[in-house]
Amino acid sequence: MADSVNLTIDGKAVQAAPGTLVIDAAKKVGIEIPAFCYWEGLTLQAACRMCLVEVERMPKLMTACTLTVAEGMVVRTETPLVAEARKSMLEFVLTNHPLDCPVCDKGGECELQDMTFRYGAGEGRFDEMKVHVDEKQWSPVVYFDAPRCILCYRCVRICDEGMGVDALGVIYRGVVSEIAPNKEDHLQCDECGMCIDICPVGALTSGMYRYRTRPWEMEHTGTICAHCSNGCKTTLGTRNGQIIRGNNRDKSGINGEFLCIKGRYAFDFNSHPERLQSPLMRIGGKLEPVSWSRAIGEVARRFTEIRERGGRFGVVGSNRTSNEENYYLQKFARQGLGTNNIDHRRTGDVPALIDALAGRTGVLATVKDVYTAKASLVIGSDLAQQHPLLAYQLRANWRHHQSHTYTVTRGPVREDKYSVHGVRVEPGAELGALESLRDQLKAEPELVILFGDAIKGEAVRRLVEFGDSLGIPVKYICLVDYSNSRGAVDMGLLPHLGPGYQGVENPGMSLPEMLAAEDLDAFWVVGANPLEHNKLAADRAFVVVHDLFLTETAERADVVFPAASAYEKNGTVTNVCGEVQHLRSAVQTMGVKTDLEILGLLSKEMRINLGMWTPESVLREIRQTVRGYNVALPVIAAGGAAQSLPLNGRVTLDSRPELIQSAGDTLFTSGTLGRYSKTLLSVLEYPGVLYGEAAEPEADRR
Amino acid sequence: MASKIQDALSSAAALAKGMGVTLKEMMSPTITEDYPDVPPKFQERYRGVHVLQRDENGLEKCVACFLCSANCPSDCIYIEAAENTDSLRISGGERYARIYNIDYSRCIFCGYCVEACPTDAITHGHGFEIASYDTSTLIWRKEQLLAPASPRETQTAINPPPGVRSPV
Ligand code: SF4
Ligand code: SF4
Ligand code: SF4
Ligand code: SF4
Ligand code: SF4
Ligand code: FES
Repeated sequence: MADSVNLTIDGKAVQAAPGTLVIDAAKKVGIEIPAFCYWEGLTLQAACRMCLVEVERMPKLMTACTLTVAEGMVVRTETPLVAEARKSMLEFVLTNHPLDCPVCDKGGECELQDMTFRYGAGEGRFDEMKVHVDEKQWSPVVYFDAPRCILCYRCVRICDEGMGVDALGVIYRGVVSEIAPNKEDHLQCDECGMCIDICPVGALTSGMYRYRTRPWEMEHTGTICAHCSNGCKTTLGTRNGQIIRGNNRDKSGINGEFLCIKGRYAFDFNSHPERLQSPLMRIGGKLEPVSWSRAIGEVARRFTEIRERGGRFGVVGSNRTSNEENYYLQKFARQGLGTNNIDHRRTGDVPALIDALAGRTGVLATVKDVYTAKASLVIGSDLAQQHPLLAYQLRANWRHHQSHTYTVTRGPVREDKYSVHGVRVEPGAELGALESLRDQLKAEPELVILFGDAIKGEAVRRLVEFGDSLGIPVKYICLVDYSNSRGAVDMGLLPHLGPGYQGVENPGMSLPEMLAAEDLDAFWVVGANPLEHNKLAADRAFVVVHDLFLTETAERADVVFPAASAYEKNGTVTNVCGEVQHLRSAVQTMGVKTDLEILGLLSKEMRINLGMWTPESVLREIRQTVRGYNVALPVIAAGGAAQSLPLNGRVTLDSRPELIQSAGDTLFTSGTLGRYSKTLLSVLEYPGVLYGEAAEPEADRR
Repeated sequence: MASKIQDALSSAAALAKGMGVTLKEMMSPTITEDYPDVPPKFQERYRGVHVLQRDENGLEKCVACFLCSANCPSDCIYIEAAENTDSLRISGGERYARIYNIDYSRCIFCGYCVEACPTDAITHGHGFEIASYDTSTLIWRKEQLLAPASPRETQTAINPPPGVRSPV
C-alpha cells in the first residue's frame, strides 16, 4: 500500500495516510466538516449525518466520519446539496428539541445552536407535540435533560472507551430513545464529567456550573490542577473573582480533553467558607486575627532570636506549593536559618530512581510515552484511582495501538480488563513477582515501568537491574501523590539533598525525627498538615504554619499565615513524569498572600538576603542552578510541558525507605485539601476505595 | 408724507396678521404640558427606565439568559443567575435572575436589551426622573425595576414560606 493517498477536498490537494477518515483529512487543511457524533479517538457511530459530503462518482452523499480516503477522491464539503441535506438532518434533530437556549447552560457554545445558525431549520414544519421528559439528576455532578439530547452517543462512548467505566447506555427505541445511567435512576461512576463536556448540546449539565452564568461572561485562565501529581491542565472559568467551572475543552496541555473529578470540579475548596483570610496569632492561648505586619514581625523576631541562641529549627515543606516556593523555602532554611532540618511528606522514592538511572538519557518517561509505548508495566498502584491521567493514557494506548499492559498489584484494578497479564501479590512481594513476567516482557519491543511506593530504597535499584536484564529499551515513572510532590523532591525539600539532588554536608532531621524531637525550638510548616495523625513532641516549640485552612497543624500553631492556593499564584510545578508546567493565577482571595511572598517578607524582616522573591526571578535562579531544570522557557510560557532531566550524577541516598509512604488517595480524596471540596464530599462514591474494582477473570483475554 | 401713511398701514397689517395667528392659536388645543404640576404624557414607544415584567401568574418573566447584557452596547446590565426550586419559584423558566442591575449612569436608552430579550421580560417603561447628585444611586436593582407584584407572587417571593431564604 502506498505511504500516502492524494485526494482533493474543496479544490485543495490533500495528502493523507491510508486509512485516514475524510473528516480528519479535511481538518488537516483547515476545512471543518460539521459533526455531532464523530469524536477523534472514539469508535465510529455515524448516528447524526451532519458530516455528509459530496464525493465525485459516488451516487449518494457520504458520511465523512466513516469514509476513508482513497487515491484520486474528489470531495466537496459545502455544496447546495450538502447544505440542504444538513438542514434536513437538523430539522429532524430539532423535532423533539425544546429550543430552550435562553435557559440552557450550553447556550453560546452549543454545537447544535451553531449549526442551526449556519444551515437554518430553526423553524420546524411539524405540528406534533414534542416528546417531553423531565430533567433528572443522576448524581451531584451529572444532570440529564433528555429532550435536549440528540443521541450522538458521544457520552456513552467516552465513558465506556475513554474512562473504562461504561456507566451510560441507551434505553428504548426510536423517537423515545434515551440515555440512561448504570444504576437505574442514578450514576455510580468516576464522576469525571467527561460525558458532560463532550456532549455537543446541553443535555448533560454539571451540578457545579448549572445555571450560574453564561460562557461569554467568564474569563478563562489555563493553569495546572491543584490535586494529584499527573499535572493536568485545567482551564478555569472565573467571574467576579470566583471560579465557576473547570474544563479543558481546547484539549491543550498534556491531558488533552481528559480531567478527573478533581481537576474539573474540585476547585471549590478555593472559595470554601473556612478559608483563612487574615493572619492569626496565639494571644492569651487563643488564635486571634492580627495584621500582616504584626504576624510577620513576630515570626521574624522569634526566628532571629532562636537562630542567634543556636536553637533547633524544623522546617516542613509542601507537596503542593510551586517549585519557586519550595526552592526559596529550602534556601531560607539552609542559608537563612542555617539548618538542614527540612523535609516534606515523601510519597515515592524519586531520589533512588534518579540515582539508579544516573548518567543515562531517554529513560524517564513522559505522560505521552504512556500513550505511545508498545508495552507498560504497572507495579503497586491502582492507576485508575491514584493516577487518573496515566490510566487514561494507558487505556487509550491499548484502544488505539493495541499496546500490552502488565500489572503487578495487591488487588483488582481497572487495568485488568484489558491487560495482557495481571499478577496479584501480597504487599511487599511485588519485586519478586516480576520474574514470572520476565519472558513475556523480554519479547516486547519497549517498556514503560510505572511503580508506586511499593518499590523503594534498594528495591528501586533492583527494579532497574531487572529492566536492564530484559535487553529492551525501558523507561521509568516513579509514582508520587500530589501536584508538586515531584517538584518538592527536585527542589531539595529533603534533609539530605539540596536542589537538584545535590547531597548536603551534615544531613538534618527527617519529618518523623522533627516530630519526635523534644528540644525542637521552632517548627515551621509551609502548606502541609503533619499533625493530622501525629503529635509534636516539643510542647514549647514556636509553631508557624502557612495554610489555606485551619488544619490540625494550624490549630497547634502560634502564628498562622493565610496562604494563597495554587489557583491564586504564578509559578511552575513539576508533574509525576518530571514535566514542568506553568501555574497561572486565575483568582484572588482577599487577605491572603502567596507562600513566596510570605517567605520574601519574612526574609526582609529578618534582614536575610535570599534574592528577589518574584516567581520569575526565582525561576531564573532555578534554571541556572538546579540540575536538570534548564528547561525551555518558551515551551512553559506557551502552556506546554518541558521535562526536567536531573540524571547527570549519582545521588546520596538516605537509607530509610520507611519514610516513603503514599497517602493512598482515591479518585475522590486529595489529602487535607480534598476535605474542603464540597463536591468531592457530596458524591455517593466518596471516599472511594483502592483495589476495589470488580475483578473479571480476563487475563490473557486477547 | 405719503410714505408715513404707508408705514402706518403696513404696521397695522403686520399687527393684524400677528394677532390673527394669536387668535387662531387661542382656538386650537394646548400642547404645552404643565410638568411637573401635571404628569407628562408619552408616546407608547418612549424609552424610559426599564421595567422587568411578570407573567400572568405573577412570576418574573426574566430567566437570566444574559442576552440583554450581551447585547447592551454600554455594558451596563449586570446579572447573577440562580436556579428555581420547588420551594422557591421566582420565574417561569428553570432559572431566574438572583441579581439584575442596570447602571443608569451608563445606559443610553437604546432599547437593544429589549430587542434581545427572548421572553419579553425587559421593557422600557416611561419613567425618566432619575437624575441624581450621587451617581452611586444610579445603579438600579431588580427590586426597583420589577413590575409590581400580584397577590400570588407576593406570597411566593416576598413572603417566602417559613424556612425559605429570600433570594435577594
Ligand atoms: S461522569 Fe465520567 S464516569 Fe460518570 S458517566 Fe460521565 S463519563 Fe462516565
Ligand atoms: S447526552 Fe449529549 S453526548 Fe450523550 S447522546 Fe445525548 S447529546 Fe450526545
Ligand atoms: S488526574 Fe490528577 S491532575 Fe488530572 S485532573 Fe485529576 S487530580 Fe487533577
Ligand atoms: S437601553 Fe441600551 S444601553 Fe440601556 S441597558 Fe438597554 S441595551 Fe443597555
Ligand atoms: S431580561 Fe430578558 S434578555 Fe435579559 S436576562 Fe432576563 S430574559 Fe434574558
Ligand atoms: S459525524 Fe458523521 S454521522 Fe455524525
